[in-house]
Amino acid sequence: MSLKILKPGFFSSLQDFGRTEAMTSGVPISGAMDRSLAGLANSAVGNSKNSAVIEFFQQGLSLEFQKPTIIAVSAIDADIMLNDKPINILESVEVKLKDILKIKAMNSGLWGYVAVKNGFISESFYGSQSFFSPLTKANFNKNDVLDFKSFEDKFQQDSKPENNLDYDSEYLEVFPGVEFEKLSKTLKYQLKHAEFSLSKTTNRMAYQVQEKLDNELDEIVTGPVLPGTIQFTPQGKLIVLMRDAQITGGYPRVLQLTENSISILSQKSFKDKIRFRLIENNS
Amino acid sequence: MILDKATFFHYNERSILIQFDVEINQKLLNNLLSFKNILFKSKPKQILQIINTYNSLLIIYGSTINNFYNEKNEVFQLLKTAKIEGKISSSVLQIPVCYDEEFGIDLHEISESKNMAISEIIKLHAEPNYLVHFIGFLPGFPYLSGLNSELFSRRKSQPRSKINAGAVGIGGEQTGIYPMSSPGGWQIIGQTPIQLFNQTKNESPSLLHSGDILKFEPISKSEYQHIENNLQDYELKKINL
Repeated sequence: MSLKILKPGFFSSLQDFGRTEAMTSGVPISGAMDRSLAGLANSAVGNSKNSAVIEFFQQGLSLEFQKPTIIAVSAIDADIMLNDKPINILESVEVKLKDILKIKAMNSGLWGYVAVKNGFISESFYGSQSFFSPLTKANFNKNDVLDFKSFEDKFQQDSKPENNLDYDSEYLEVFPGVEFEKLSKTLKYQLKHAEFSLSKTTNRMAYQVQEKLDNELDEIVTGPVLPGTIQFTPQGKLIVLMRDAQITGGYPRVLQLTENSISILSQKSFKDKIRFRLIENNS
Repeated sequence: MILDKATFFHYNERSILIQFDVEINQKLLNNLLSFKNILFKSKPKQILQIINTYNSLLIIYGSTINNFYNEKNEVFQLLKTAKIEGKISSSVLQIPVCYDEEFGIDLHEISESKNMAISEIIKLHAEPNYLVHFIGFLPGFPYLSGLNSELFSRRKSQPRSKINAGAVGIGGEQTGIYPMSSPGGWQIIGQTPIQLFNQTKNESPSLLHSGDILKFEPISKSEYQHIENNLQDYELKKINL
């Protein structure tokens, strides 16, 4: 035992960059909601970007370390306490036995990450340690334990990694979706130029857009979808598939977020404004 | 020529989707699986995964596609030269299903709406060979073709909040098996004791795969109990076509 979850907060889980091996068995890719921030937490402790990290949702997570190591926490803006003293985002910090890490407040964004030197040890399923029920449990529970190798050498952080994603921007870069060309001129215009806002429904499977558009498209023959695929339901709802999305779907796929746009969107919350910027010439 | 009916899409930074605008049938599936095979063989380092559905291939690369048009042309050339192999299984997996009314909770409803005896519903459902086109929706959930049109049934107007793992149902023109308990609106006609999804298997967690052929084998309640109690020893029967 290397670490104990004192308080899991909401929806905390272990995540790396996910699995593609079991997709043909219908298993979603999963992985960190904000890949960029998860990668930066790893970089801060000298890990490869896709090492497994603890993903937490807003404030409330509290952990007790039972081994010495180096950690780093990433978030857009959060109050993080180590034994009730504040520590900086993306700064590598030594921890020792009985140290307690708390995410006290999330000031901006929804998801953050805790990385430990050399990564967490847990069972890998089809090439990934990412939680996904029924492969693993869905989330951490109170008193869960997690392993890592202790690290007591000197560690010199290269430089504080910088996040170059613009989380304040309303703009999300998108590819035209497979069914985009089937949309009417009006709908294309709306998707390209209108301002939208996020609905309350935001989870690891999908985020929804509040505004409804008039949809004249029929459902499609069930086809492949990926994280970042924006589906258009017969009721005119836009559903943005996220990391735990199923791998096939029957709704028209009107837009597709870029990898960075998925990370940016993942951090937006209820009522936040979004606009789509179409990549017109994708050669 | 099937490739004349293919449209290529730059799906995202790392993926290309090819959609074939032709009739969905066993021949198309055989083509898709042969294409998948040649792509994996020709580009083992670049390609992470290929998903096929009824009429599409999604190619997922390990890194960003720098020039979509070059890559598209290269893939197109590979597919043009692909040898179409016999990728559909030559044997039929026998999936044991208990159609007792304890499990087949909607058999009565279908029987009344179709004015068809329950025994006839079971006979028609257990008669054909079904083709597994792909796995999706839920981990291990097979998309099948082959359902007798006399059994096409509307989904329930009120979906159930929980359908048991192993439940066999009919939804519209499709039949399928729920690999795990889930909410669902299909008409439930029976239940299989076997596991369709098992994450402890190293190779692949899904029992069924694209290109498999299956048939439902009616079993009694006592046979159901027996198989359920001896799941570890149970081996699926295969009958050669």
